[in-house]
Formats: sequence, structure tokens, C-alpha cells
Amino acid sequence: MIETLLILFAPLIGGLMYGFERKLRARMQSRQGPPLLQPFYDMWKLIDKQAFIVNPYHTILGVMHFITIWIVVAFIILGQNLLYVIFLHLLSTIFIILAGFSVKSIYSHIGSNRELQAMIAYEPILIMVAVGFFMMNGSFAISTIRENDTSLASLFLLFLAFLMVIQIKLKKSPFDATEAHQEIVGGVEVEFSGVFFEFIYMAKWLEYVFVYLLLMLFAGNNIFLGIGLFFGVFLLVNLVDNATARIKMKHLLRIVLVIGLILGMWNLIGLSYV
Amino acid sequence: MFDLKKYRKKSPWILHYNAGSCNGCDIEILACLAPKYDLERFGVINTGNPKQSDIFLVTGPVTYRSRERLVELYTQMPEPKVVIAVGSCSCTGGVFRDMVNVEDGVDRYIPVDVYVAGCATSPELIIDGVVKALEILEQKTKEMEKPLKLFREATLQNSIVNRRHTALKVGEKDEED
Repeated sequence: MIETLLILFAPLIGGLMYGFERKLRARMQSRQGPPLLQPFYDMWKLIDKQAFIVNPYHTILGVMHFITIWIVVAFIILGQNLLYVIFLHLLSTIFIILAGFSVKSIYSHIGSNRELQAMIAYEPILIMVAVGFFMMNGSFAISTIRENDTSLASLFLLFLAFLMVIQIKLKKSPFDATEAHQEIVGGVEVEFSGVFFEFIYMAKWLEYVFVYLLLMLFAGNNIFLGIGLFFGVFLLVNLVDNATARIKMKHLLRIVLVIGLILGMWNLIGLSYV
Repeated sequence: MFDLKKYRKKSPWILHYNAGSCNGCDIEILACLAPKYDLERFGVINTGNPKQSDIFLVTGPVTYRSRERLVELYTQMPEPKVVIAVGSCSCTGGVFRDMVNVEDGVDRYIPVDVYVAGCATSPELIIDGVVKALEILEQKTKEMEKPLKLFREATLQNSIVNRRHTALKVGEKDEED
């Protein structure tokens, strides 16, 4: 019952998180910031606006991106296979990349290109995180991972690598070259308008839920540690976002692949000898 | 049951276009979005993408080269939308009025809803202009968003061709037929 409710209200939870984050970021810059429900005001406004359809595939792929990522969040909440969740999430990213390539806008193409490159950077780390959980729990099932004790200490290096993935997935500085609002005007989302942009906007909220649900797997069955991890990482991510500047795409690839792969492999090889 | 129109006022997204301005008004607009004046507390985001914005902030006297981009950006914005002319130059042409390369203000090419005067205009005036524009944005109805078509015959009044009554909304019944 509670799982069904959580799945149904997952976009709302994500929207609240996004609103809280905007408020927090404003307070960090000593601004007042928008109201907490600002994402929902944006949502109602976008529904009321005129929508331009560039081509049918573009809009359908955008909606598919939203639906797939909702299914991904549902699978995590239901406690399905972690590897399956990661690959289904890959599929949802593929949808938005295809949508970006299906229009003529150059910004959209650059955004899709960068999204692909970012995917090359973070996907190995996500898979290594899954393998790390498998080595600790003997199963890829998320329900098993949630039942066992916390594996944060054993998987600490993978946890550090996963923090970089959070920055890329949530499009935070320094790793936000995929979106780059000042230079390529949002990248893949540039040609969406009206109610169809709303789906992309809501997919962004669900991305928050997805990433933080994956993060809370590190806490295992310890709920308080999970909540602590969530708030700590939430603060850390926004602090880093406010304090750093955007880096180039090739530097993103180099930093995330080199540091992330070394940390992850070190952790996995270490675990196999223990 | 649920009035969507009141939410237009709560999340205006801004598109800022520099039509040949001297950057004086542009830095004032950026000052509005910075911590001291903080336009984001009204839900304002500087999107930079015409397809997702509601308010079109134009600075500058519209030079000969920038007018096509100006009209292009205006047509790319989905309805309902509001145009604000920021600064003396974009209202009337300012000190550049009647120069060969200058088109004397934004309203020669696109309809303007709010004029914000001043050279350079101050952040307080821009905030007033944006708040005024939000009132206009709320009044705009679906009927106004429908395109007009000119397909009635022009009439002669006092030996002057009158086209005032030739405009019909798309789908509207012609009463004279």
C-alpha cells in the first residue's frame, strides 16, 4: 500500500525536493529565494501555455523519457533488481538523447552529444556500484540490499565515486556542462515548449528521487543513517554547486573517468581479496 | 473549478534580448536577478530560451541588423507573452533617434506592453515594470491568443479606406453574411 502511494506521488516528492533545493541555494547566496511550491506553480503555468510541436517523434520521445524514469523509480521502490534498474535508467537517457538528435537545432545536438559523453563517464561507475553491492550482499535485488546491514564502510571509495555521479545526473556545477544554461541554453530540452516541456521538467524531479534513492541503498537497513546520508549529501551537493565553476566537457570526462574508475576498481579489487 | 490563469503570475520566465544596447540596461537587468534585488523571489528565471519564456525584456534601440532576430525571437515565444521595452533607447530610440542605422524603438516591429524609461534604467524601475507586466499577463485570455485573419472587404469611410473592421478571429462567425 505505502509502496503504491510512494510510486504515485514520486513526482510530487521530487518537485518538493527541487523547490527546497532552490530555496536552500538562494539562502546560501543570501537571497530570499522563490517559494517552496515554486516548481508546481511552474507546472500549472506550463500546462496553460501554448505548445509548439517541432516533430511528433521529438515530443513522444520526451514523454517516453518521463514515463521510463518513473518506471525506474517504481522499480527501486518495489525492490527489484539493481542492475535492471540501472540499465532501464540508461534507456530513459537514450530516449532524451534521441529526442535531442531528432530536431534541427544545433544547441539540441550539442546537448545530446554532451549527454552521450556524460553517460560514458558515469555509467561504468553506476555498474561498479551495483557490482559492489553484489559482492557485499550476494544479490542484485534491492530488497535484499535493504534488508542487510549497511555497507557504507566497505564501499566507501565507491561512495565517493558515486558523489560525482550525483553532480552529473542532477546537472550541478562543476559537472553541468551537459545542460550549461548560459552557453547551450539547456542542451537537449531547448526545443520543448508548453506542456511537453512540463514532462521534461517533471523527469528532472524524478531524477532527484532516483539518485537519492540509490544513495540511500548505501545505508542498508539503517533508516537513520539513510536520512542522515540524504541530508548530508544534499547539503554537500548544493554547497559544491554554489562554490565551483563549470568545467569543460573533456575535463569532465577525464576527471570522472580517471578518478571514478580508479576509486571504484580499487574498492572492488580490495573487496575481492578480503 | 481550478483557475490555471492565476499561476501565470507566479512563475514568469524571462527572455532577455539585447537589440544593440550599450550594455547599460543589461547590467541593470542582471543586477535585478542578483542577490540584492533578487527577482527570483517572484519565481523569475532568466531562461534564455524563447520557447519556454513568458516575458520578453528588450534593451537597445533596435539596430538595423538586430531587427530580424527581434521579430524571430518574438514569434518563437508561445502565447501568452508580454513584451517589456527596457530603457529610453528601446522605448523611443533615445539619443540614437533618427540615426541611419537605428529603427527608433521596439514598437516599430513588435507590440510592447510595458515601457520602462531611464538611461540607464534602475533596477527598481525594472522590478516595477515586471510586476506591471505580470498584471497584464494575467488579463490576457485565450481569445486574445487566437490569430487574426483579414478576410473581410475593406470599406470606404469619408473617402478613406477603412480596414478597422476587416479583422476576424479564426473560427469566429461573420455576422454580415
